[in-house]
Amino acid sequence: MSNEKYYVPHGTYWPIIGSIGITTLFVGFANQMHDVSWGWPVMLLGLTIIMFMLFGWFGTVVNESVTGTYNSQVDKSFRWGMSWFIFSEVMFFAAFFGALLYARTLSVPWLAGGDNNMFTPELWEGFKAVWPLVNTPGEVGQNGTVFSSNFKLVDAWGLPAINTGLLLTSGVTITYAHHALRAGHRNALIAWMLATIALGVVFLGLQITEYGHAYHDGLKLTSGIYGSTFYLLTGFHGFHVTVGAIMLTVILYRIQKGHFNAENHFAFEGVAWYWHFVDVVWVGLFIFVYWL
Amino acid sequence: MNFFVIVVIVLIFLSLGSALVGMLKGGKEGSDKMFKSLRTRTALSVFLFIALMFAGYMGWIEPNNIVTSG
Repeated sequence: MSNEKYYVPHGTYWPIIGSIGITTLFVGFANQMHDVSWGWPVMLLGLTIIMFMLFGWFGTVVNESVTGTYNSQVDKSFRWGMSWFIFSEVMFFAAFFGALLYARTLSVPWLAGGDNNMFTPELWEGFKAVWPLVNTPGEVGQNGTVFSSNFKLVDAWGLPAINTGLLLTSGVTITYAHHALRAGHRNALIAWMLATIALGVVFLGLQITEYGHAYHDGLKLTSGIYGSTFYLLTGFHGFHVTVGAIMLTVILYRIQKGHFNAENHFAFEGVAWYWHFVDVVWVGLFIFVYWL
Repeated sequence: MNFFVIVVIVLIFLSLGSALVGMLKGGKEGSDKMFKSLRTRTALSVFLFIALMFAGYMGWIEPNNIVTSG
């Protein structure tokens, strides 16, 4: 272990600014959900504060790194920090895939009287215990929620297949970027990074288009357990692609500034791993939501 | 087919995990391990996607959207 002095930052105000930003964002969001007129502006204000915090905090950390403040022990701390973050991300998606598994293989058969026979064999006339559970009651619930019925499902051969191809291609391009960085090929590195970011952005654009089609065909968050799990899984994945694309852009900026070399590029490694993970999650989604 | 898909997914996760270990280790050795593992996971993912599309085309598997309502 290194005996060098461990760098500890002093007097940073970015965490409290981040907290204020997140609080403002959610106060705005909650009020927007209740149709309060100032909900949207407050949400945007919160988002602006968060963006300000991100730029500021990233800038501070980058500056600390390039001025040689960090030693090998701090580098190790960063690697452990990234690993725990990754662990939390894996658990995050494991919970959502678990919810899908529970709904598909346990709860739907139970509703048809399977296994423990706790429920009546027929919940309502025409109920079929199939997945996707396309037939849900089209009635107004006690809390005023209207459940959709007979919605159309997203065609796996259409946009989802194209999007999978795009995201997997971005996995290939970031692998080439990684190779270029290790080999010291700066121009190739920039080109592959640009291609990766572009593929991520196109993926997001097509995902929004797919949501538009799905909504038009009646598949909504309120479309029973299928609609809920579909939007929950694909929505959070889309959010992660957005975050990944932002992080890749920051890394590209740092590459152009000459912050990395063939031996020292942990920030790139962390973001590359994250992008590969997001890629793998989508492959899982494509298989378990659209196919099997 | 399901068994095949699950096996490849497990291999993909093992590659990702191996890359994570490489990243955690750091240095030349860790960096090499990370890069090679990520390259393997990319190849496996592309292979799985092509295999899935081929199986769908051949009619060995059918997508979720073919369930008819009613």
